[in-house]
Amino acid sequence: MTATKLSISGVGKNFGAVRALDRVDLDIAPGEFVTLIGPSGCGKSTLFNMLAGLLEPDAGGTILLDGKPGKLLGRTAFMPQRDLLLPWRNVLDNALLPCEIEGLPRAETRARAEKMAVDFGLRGFEKHFPQQLSGGMRQRVALMRTFMFERDLMLLDEPFGALDALTRSMMQRWLLDIWARYRRTIIFITHDIDEAIFLADRVVVMSARPGRIKLDRRIELPRPRDAHLLTAPEFTAIKRELLDAVEEESLKSFSA
Amino acid sequence: MLRAALPILLLFALWEAAVVGLAIDPFYLPSIRVVAAAMQAQSGFYLDAYLVTLAEAALGFAMGGLVGVASALLFTRLPMVKDMVLPIFIVSQTVPVIAFGAIVVLWFGNTLMAKAAIAFYLTFFPVTINTLAGIAAVDARQVALLRSFGAGQGAVMRKLLLPAALPRIFTALRLSASLALAGAIVGEWFGATRGVGAMLLAAMFNEQIVSLWASILVAAAVGGTLFAAVALAERAMVFWREEL
Ligand SMILES: Nc1ncnc2c1ncn2[C@@H]1O[C@H](COP(=O)(O)OP(=O)(O)OP(=O)(O)O)[C@@H](O)[C@H]1O
Ligand SMILES: [Mg+2]
Repeated sequence: MTATKLSISGVGKNFGAVRALDRVDLDIAPGEFVTLIGPSGCGKSTLFNMLAGLLEPDAGGTILLDGKPGKLLGRTAFMPQRDLLLPWRNVLDNALLPCEIEGLPRAETRARAEKMAVDFGLRGFEKHFPQQLSGGMRQRVALMRTFMFERDLMLLDEPFGALDALTRSMMQRWLLDIWARYRRTIIFITHDIDEAIFLADRVVVMSARPGRIKLDRRIELPRPRDAHLLTAPEFTAIKRELLDAVEEESLKSFSA
Repeated sequence: MLRAALPILLLFALWEAAVVGLAIDPFYLPSIRVVAAAMQAQSGFYLDAYLVTLAEAALGFAMGGLVGVASALLFTRLPMVKDMVLPIFIVSQTVPVIAFGAIVVLWFGNTLMAKAAIAFYLTFFPVTINTLAGIAAVDARQVALLRSFGAGQGAVMRKLLLPAALPRIFTALRLSASLALAGAIVGEWFGATRGVGAMLLAAMFNEQIVSLWASILVAAAVGGTLFAAVALAERAMVFWREEL
């Protein structure tokens, strides 16, 4: 039996009369890259907020991180849907924010950030302010901030949602590269099926609101992956299977 | 510096042109050259008034700014204290400053602190209210992000709420700069012998029109100094303003 990094069972959430999330059960292994896909409003961000400890699940649901229950705040590296960079901090200082909050030694984390900035394609931009950056760069700064907060489990909420297609596919390959190098467990929300398959060890499809897990598909495509994979027959076969599931749910969320 | 000086020179030119062109009775508006000559003749006297009033207004302004920001932070941290104290702040502001003047002079005597206290009374409240508004406008998702990094209330305050409120704080400080000057002048009206306010009163009672206009120019210089100081600090601290 392999150890589980994260174990979610029976987790649901009501907002007043709105049932945002139904009972969700999900186990994630250490080092796994899981993508989460589902119609808008099905409760993906709500689930993340609970995993980050910002929101309590309704009674009956449990979330175990490293097999232990307890407070989740500060134990996962959470990247919200918007970059939320602080406009008065330059690139490096934005990335250093979580380390400052943790009270880590300044000189040491700074040196680490300067090194990491190279991996994140931000070399030469360390002193720039968020207003001076392109959308893709801002997103990389937000990602770097998430990596600087050294937690084994990373929650990335549509990190590439606002990027154009070209930048996006570059960022995907780059993220896989980074992931291979830093070895973290990642849950990644996306609306893009290609992206979901391309990145993942496992794609989890959620149903229309109230969200449940509809499909949990292991992706056994070889790594490292490159752009050619997108047109390979194995890839398209998986894509067809997932598209059917996703479209069914999207139609439901429209007619609801 | 030049950008500020140019409009002032233009205003003086217009003033002089109006006085000469429309042949205005000097009782209503004396020539700027006459006023300037009077100021030069008694430059020590006017400089003293400038410095005295500037010190009073600046001290009251600094106290008002500090207390305003500090109480807004305290109110944010402890909403119970806010519910108890903010109504008192509001009631205090319904009393016209003139009504306080006599009491303040009674308490502090005819001192620098008496005038500063009145300037303080006029300035702390707008700063409190604007700081609170600035903090209330901070994106809840931003707060959530910091909390996800394990930030407590203190860290959220220092790293997010206070800096994010700075643009609103400076809006209040610019307003407060002129309020502090008004407070210092009113304070001087309760028996002071030095300062712009005292000079204004004396000129009015003695119908010294030139001296009256000179006092007004000195008052404007005090207000301009305070305002410029705030603007400089703002430029250094809120360089990122376009966002949020
Ligand atoms: N704080 C809240 N109060 C009330 N309702 C909420 C709150 N947060 C989310 N909801 C509701 O819960 C449902 C799920 O929202 P959530 O943001 O989790 O969806 P999502 O799957 O992330 O959608 P998207 O793909 O558009 O980001 C929505 O109907 C939303 O309106
Ligand atoms: Mg979402």
